[in-house]
This record gives sequence, C-alpha cells and structure tokens, in this order.
Amino acid sequence: MSAVAGPLRVERHRRPVAGRLLGSGTVMVTVIYLLLLLVYALCQKNALSMTQFSDQLSNGLPLALAAAGGTLVVLMRGFDLSVAGVIALADVLTATHAADGQMGALLCLLMVVGVGLLVGAVNGFLVAYAGLQSIACTLATMIICSGAALLVLDAPGGSVPEFISDNLTGTLLAVPVPLIIALVVLFGWAVLRRTNWGVGLYALGADETAARLAGIPVRRVKFLAFCAAGALYGVAGMMLAAATSNGDPGAGTSYLLLVFAAIAIGGTTFTGGRGGLLGSMIGAATLLLLQKVLFSLGVSSFYTGIGQGLIMIAAVLIAAFSARLARRMPR
Amino acid sequence: MKEALMSGPAPHDTRTTGRSLGPEAITPLVLFGLTILLVIASRWISPNLGGFHQVAAIIVLSSFLMVVAFGQQMVVLIGGLDLSVPSLLTLGGILTFGWSTASGWSLIWILLAVLVVNGVIGALSGAGIAWLRIPPFIMTLAMGIIVYSAALGITAGTPRGHPSAALASLFTGRILGLPPIIYLMILFVIAGTALQSYTPFGRKLYALGTSPVAAHVAGLPVGWLTVATYALSAAVAGVAGFLLVGYAGGATLVMGQSYLLPSIAAVVVGGTSILGGRGTYISAVAASLLLTTFSTIISSVQILEGWRTIIYGCVILIAIAALREDLPLWLNRSLQRPSRPPPQAANAQSAQ
Repeated sequence: MSAVAGPLRVERHRRPVAGRLLGSGTVMVTVIYLLLLLVYALCQKNALSMTQFSDQLSNGLPLALAAAGGTLVVLMRGFDLSVAGVIALADVLTATHAADGQMGALLCLLMVVGVGLLVGAVNGFLVAYAGLQSIACTLATMIICSGAALLVLDAPGGSVPEFISDNLTGTLLAVPVPLIIALVVLFGWAVLRRTNWGVGLYALGADETAARLAGIPVRRVKFLAFCAAGALYGVAGMMLAAATSNGDPGAGTSYLLLVFAAIAIGGTTFTGGRGGLLGSMIGAATLLLLQKVLFSLGVSSFYTGIGQGLIMIAAVLIAAFSARLARRMPR
Repeated sequence: MKEALMSGPAPHDTRTTGRSLGPEAITPLVLFGLTILLVIASRWISPNLGGFHQVAAIIVLSSFLMVVAFGQQMVVLIGGLDLSVPSLLTLGGILTFGWSTASGWSLIWILLAVLVVNGVIGALSGAGIAWLRIPPFIMTLAMGIIVYSAALGITAGTPRGHPSAALASLFTGRILGLPPIIYLMILFVIAGTALQSYTPFGRKLYALGTSPVAAHVAGLPVGWLTVATYALSAAVAGVAGFLLVGYAGGATLVMGQSYLLPSIAAVVVGGTSILGGRGTYISAVAASLLLTTFSTIISSVQILEGWRTIIYGCVILIAIAALREDLPLWLNRSLQRPSRPPPQAANAQSAQ
C-alpha cells in the first residue's frame, strides 16, 4: 500500500492545476471555511467586521498553533498526546512566572518554548531512539506535564501581565497580532519543509523503510519533529493565557481531541505523508467558526458538537472523494 | 533471499518463534506480580492498606476499567483506536439511569437495551471505518463528539432517573464475603479471553490486525469484522456505564471522561501494539489492576495532587519502557553500536 505512495507523489507535479487543487486537503478546508463564512455573513450583520475577525483570531490561535504542532507528528504517522500537558504547563507558567514589559514577554516566550522543546525532546528520544509507541509515551508525558502544571498552579487563577494579554491579542500597525504570529509560523514551515528535514518528514510518513533506505536519518528527523511540535504547543499555551488573561491547570484537556479534529478537517491524513500545517490551522479556524455559525443559526450550544462531528466526517469524505476525482482527471 | 523473507522469519529470530510462550504469557504475569508486590508494599505506607477489604475494593474499582479496556483492546488489536469510549460510557450510564425502576427484574432488559443502542452506534462507526475508509481515529472521535453533544442536548445537562437498588446491590451485597461484582468480573474476563483467544472471531481479528490486506486476500470478511469489533467496543463501554450507575447511584455527563486515557493506558501498558495484531486481553486486565492499585495507593499518600499525577505518569512510562517485548534485543543492539539500522532494513536491502 505504502509502496504506491512514492510514485504517485512524483506524478502529482505534472498534473494540471484543477487536478492538483481537487487533490489538496488544504484547498478543500479553505473552501469549507469560506462557505461557512458566507453563511455566517448572511445571518450575522457584523460578521465580516475587523473586531469580529480579530476576536476569532485570538480565540482560535491557541488551537491553530497546537494543531500545527500536532500535524508535524501526524505527518510521520505518530500521535502526540502531550499537547494537552504542554499547553496546560505553558499556560500556568505564563500566568505565574511572566514579568511585565517587553523583556518579560520575551523571557516568557523563551520559557514556554524551552519547556515545549524539553518535553518534545523527551518524546522524541523515547519514540525515535528508544523505539516506544508514540501514543503510549506521549500519554505518559502528557500526564507528567499536567501534574507539573498542577504544581505550578493548583487551581485556575494567576494573572497574565498586561503587556502580554494586551499586545498578543491586539493589533500591530492595524494588523491583528495573532495573524502575524500565524503567518510567522507558516513562513517558518514554508522554509523548513524545503529543507532536508522537511522532505525527510514527508518521506518518512509515506514509507519509513523506503525513507531509511534512501539515506534519510530517520531517527533525527523524528526527534526534531517532536521537538518542533513541543515548541509550538508551548507557544499555544502562552497564547491561551494571553487570550484568557489567567491560567488554568486543566486548560489542556479540552484541546486534546480538538487538536486532532482540526488536523483531520485540515486534510492531513492519519496514514502519514500527506497534508500540512496550513490546512490544520484553517481546520482549527473552521471548528471555531462552526460554533459561531451554529449559534447564530439559533442552534442550542448543546448541539454544536453534532455539527463538529459531522463536519469532521464530511471533510474527510470530501477530501477522499476529491482526491479520487483528481486521480481520474486527464493528464 | 526474497524467498526466505516470504516464507517466514529466520530461525534465530527469537522474537517471533518464541512468542507463543514468550512476552504474551510473561507480560500478564509480570503485571499481576507487580500488583501483588504493590499491595504488600502498601502496608508500610499505611496499616489500613493491603488488607483483604482493600484488595476487594481495588478489584471493584478497577472493574469499570477492565470492562472498557476489553473493547479498547479489541479495537487496538485490529489497528484502530476507539476515542468514543467516554461518550458511549456516558450514554450507557444515562440510559440505565433514565430507564431503571425500583424492581430488579427489568435490569436485564435495561442492559440488553443499552447493549443494542450502543452496539448500533458502534456499528455505525465501524461501517464508516470499514466501507467509507474514514480513519478510525477521526471516525470514533467524531462519533464521540456527536453522541456526547446529543446526550448533552437531550438531558439539558442533568440526566434524570432513579438509582437502582438491584444494580447497587452488585457492589454493596456480599456473596461469600465478596461483592457480587467480583464474581461477575471473573466471568467477564474469562469470557473475554475466550472470545479473543479461542473463537474463530477472535483469531480472525489477530489476522486482520497483523495485515488487513492479507486478511482480505485470505477471504476474511474484513468489513464485517471491523463493524463487529467497533460494535463490541461500544457495547462494553455501555456496560461500564451501566455498572457505574450501580456503583455511583446516578449518572452524570462527565462520568465517561476519566476513562478514555486510562483505557488506552491499560491497553498499551498491557503490551498491546498500537499497530495491531498483538496483545492479549488478560494483559490489559492485569494492567488495569496495576494502574488502579497504584492510583488507589498513591491517593492515600499525603502529597500534592501535582506530584501524584507526575508519579502516575512516570509509572506508566516506566511500565511501557520495561515491558517492551524486545527490550533485551534493543539493549544488546544499542550497547554494541548506537545507530545501526534494525535487521529488517538490512534484510530488505540485501533482497533488493
């Protein structure tokens, strides 16, 4: 099965634009997002206003960053459950240990990225070098991290310095800061996926044995992917603290399943080797927009989950269907 | 060389040839042994611990996890993962709570109804996975969110019903000095093990988990087996909810949430490969007992909740690392040369 994936990917470059667009999960999720936005604009007058947009960005960025990190691991057919633990830990660290002002924010960023990298490195070592199952050992590191979060702050509370909560959710030169952060992450990814590591990541996800035989340092690629994912979770936790203005040691739990939902909607396949960060981030935005749309349609907030579940299944089916369609298009 | 690869593993590969009496038999024994050691050692922590009643209490407490782990383990065995466990457990609990009346006779009908409702939902997930080719992770996650949301909407946040005295007596009653649930659990574990290891259905699941393509070529009804497995997992999650109503005297919407990660933990600590095709239910049972024993003991120690959680996580990590079936092999290899490619890569290279 995986042997087919190699040659197919090579052929894709020669395909006409229409076929390429149909086959891409990212394009599909963008279309779904825009359709939802259209529905939202029709039933809510101020839906397309700047404040609405900015609000949604700052509420959605933690999930988008976490989903971006999770995608790196899913791309190589792994699962990273530690996302919930790292978000909680970074969240409470920001709410208790961050100082005010520019330097404080910078140090806080370094701290959360450092924590994320550390957890990611432990995961990466256990999976890549010790050969443990990713879901098993990230489950353990998740539990350990949420314990550590409880040690830092044993109940919701703390306070986030105003500099962080105001600036990270505000605007810079009329551009929402969350958008800038998202773009920085996407730019970084655009660069990294063209490096040996990025190419290796996709190759590894498509066929690990083939990747190893092709001389890709499989273990190092895996290790670095977990590290990068951890760093992104850390930033996600800091953004969450900035958006909510306080810390909550249980904050990560609700993110665990949503992260995988966002990745699935974003068109990254759980069989590895296909997808990308942009899709997952739009997937995260889609999940949150859906909540707003259902609310403005008058659906009780109890039932938003039904919509989320159905859209996940629909997104996967649409992606599979359009990929099949794309394969049948004349070259 | 290619012929040799096709016909089976080389004779010196002890991982495969020794498996019938190897890790599959050793893992549950080690886990049971650790549990017993832990119980004995707990005497030093507090004289209240480690007694007969406390052991019985731990078994009762772990019974819900054992039931849930059965379904989860079957799903993992065929290379999937069931994330809808918490929602389906909650659903089973809400239905039981809502339907139960004062008389004891209707209990069996409630159980059957829960099994059917949950089984149908599980079968739907299985159908999506088998025939629509939706990845199990996404299908069960979506199904879980949908079921939870429906339950939330229909109950408007507070499930209503009556506590069932008959159901509660499973936990409060005594047969030969033990709560009846313990005997039921023994029957459940025997039945589960028998279904998995000694019926054609169970053996077919191992074949399916090892290689879906090979199972299909061999003429196994891959689609129906998948549907049946997910239906089974959903049904036993409902049973766990049913039992929890008896234990707790009511149902809440969050009653299932604390069972998702433990069910996965029990399965992976029990040595079941997340890639499918390997592992036994009895190991998952042993792991459930070990994890529950450990969390019971640690919750009686006077330390911060954060430290408790950290220690719990470390224990899972150590258990996973220590129970790797190829640990001796791996140690050997990494001591000799740190970054040598595994043998199958070398084999494949020479085959080409």
